[in-house]
Amino acid sequence: MTTRYARTPKPSGSTFEVLSWFYMRASGALLALMVVFHLIWMHYVIGLTNIDFDVIAGRWTGPGGIFWRSYDLTLLILASLHGMNGIRFVTDDYIHNRGWRAVVKALIALVLLLMVVFGGLVIFTFNG
Amino acid sequence: MSANPKKGFVSSTLSYKGGIGHWSWILHRLGGLGIAFFLILHILDIFMVGVSRAAFEELLFIYHEPLLRPVIWALVFGVFYHALNGLRIIIQDFWPHMFRYQKQLATTVWVIVIVLTVFLVGVDIAGMLA
Amino acid sequence: MQVTLKIQRFNPEKDSAPYWKEYTIEAEPTDRVLDGLLKIKLEQDGTLTMRSSCAHGICGSDAMRINGVNRLACKSLFQEVGNNVTVEPIAGLPVIKDLVVDMEPFMEHYRSVLPFFINDDPPPEKERLQSEEDRLKFEETTKCILCGCCTTSCPTFWATDAYVGPAAIVQAHRFIFDSRDQGSAQRLEILADPDGVWRCRTIFNCTNACPREIKVTEAIAEVKKEILFSKL
Ligand code: HEM
Ligand code: SF4
Ligand code: SF4
Ligand code: FES
Repeated sequence: MTTRYARTPKPSGSTFEVLSWFYMRASGALLALMVVFHLIWMHYVIGLTNIDFDVIAGRWTGPGGIFWRSYDLTLLILASLHGMNGIRFVTDDYIHNRGWRAVVKALIALVLLLMVVFGGLVIFTFNG
Repeated sequence: MSANPKKGFVSSTLSYKGGIGHWSWILHRLGGLGIAFFLILHILDIFMVGVSRAAFEELLFIYHEPLLRPVIWALVFGVFYHALNGLRIIIQDFWPHMFRYQKQLATTVWVIVIVLTVFLVGVDIAGMLA
Repeated sequence: MQVTLKIQRFNPEKDSAPYWKEYTIEAEPTDRVLDGLLKIKLEQDGTLTMRSSCAHGICGSDAMRINGVNRLACKSLFQEVGNNVTVEPIAGLPVIKDLVVDMEPFMEHYRSVLPFFINDDPPPEKERLQSEEDRLKFEETTKCILCGCCTTSCPTFWATDAYVGPAAIVQAHRFIFDSRDQGSAQRLEILADPDGVWRCRTIFNCTNACPREIKVTEAIAEVKKEILFSKL
């Protein structure tokens, strides 16, 4: 009979995990307001079938441009970090091989970086 | 030799009769993953706005194609569920006493989510018919 | 009443994988699943293996998955669980034989949270006094019998047995919130590990499974908050 002894928790002094837990809740509370508003705005106020280039361009360059660019940028950063950290939670649960876990986490970090860079680029540089 | 306990985590997860909290967690997790993958796609399609009008219009079928509507609706439901269930988790985490009302709160989440989803799907259908 | 028990069997010396076997017995509605299992062992199949001791919900040795949920066999009456009963070992721990699992990984997690009274002050003449209000803060968590129903109902534990698990957190809670104890900071530091409290996804299976009706998820949330506020 072989017994598989589990790793047990040790004091580490690291605050990463508690901050990440707190971030999921703080960002989640903000996202709840912002995402629900975003959905109702796009589906109800604008209407899915009416979405086109002019609608998006208009809201970034029109009179409310600063507001919409800030809104979209905040949403982008909050959601990307929240979502990728959430995927990290899931990989921590299900991927046990240390090597694979490191590879997947590096990929998650890379995707997060690309999301913020690509999304941020268009929000900042769009000029009609 | 012993039966490997790890082998069964998927079947354990699916077969355990854990009640509303268990299913809430499965949906919260699937919803979160679904939204996260959609967000990647969404950032790419909006990035095309910056590339050119034509490049963005190439991708507009995502929002216009009636055949893709059910996918959008599933996503809308997923977002509402994840958002409301997330709020429930946040409330219970910061007021642990609220875990005593787990069933009531989880049921409330379902009611609000269904109302919101039916509303938005209705709005979409009305838009398609108009 | 006639009861059919579908039991998961596994003998490591003979079987390559667990399999199901059905037994039919005569039982009273007020008999417990444990009575049924012992009856089968006595009258039909002496090789059926399970743990039990007190038979009164105190020793915590007969946790099993009964009809899909973790319970103590000695606290499950046939009138509650019905006359078609499925019995399997609790999940997430290695099966030694039939319904007996190796509790050692579970106990290792238990030991890791310093589940004993820590106070270096010299003992006072009579006793270490505590107000009624302070005592009530951990009243719930003193009731744990370490049966393992909670930890082995937790999807996170099934996926990663490095997760310390609800039972160990309940045991830590019992000392962390004891005003006479001085080891709280140390325990909170241990539970702040990535495999500590943060792995709990508030799924609530543990609370539903606890035969002592301990509000497990609530206790875990109190520990999380305590760590959060000690770090912020
Ligand atoms: C709309 C408001 C939202 C709220 C209130 C919210 C809330 C939460 C909370 C509290 C958690 C932590 C769950 C836990 O630790 O047990 C979580 C996890 C997660 N969230 Fe969100 N979230 C929201 C939006 C989003 C968005 C937009 C995404 C995707 C980009 C997302 C993806 C995820 C993922 C992948 C997880 C991990 C799931 C898991 O560990 O099971 N969430 N969310
Ligand atoms: S509440 Fe936490 S510890 Fe309990 S079953 Fe759920 S995830 Fe596991
Ligand atoms: S908390 Fe409840 S279920 Fe968990 S080990 Fe203690 S008595 Fe058993
Ligand atoms: S035999 Fe002791 S708790 Fe069931």
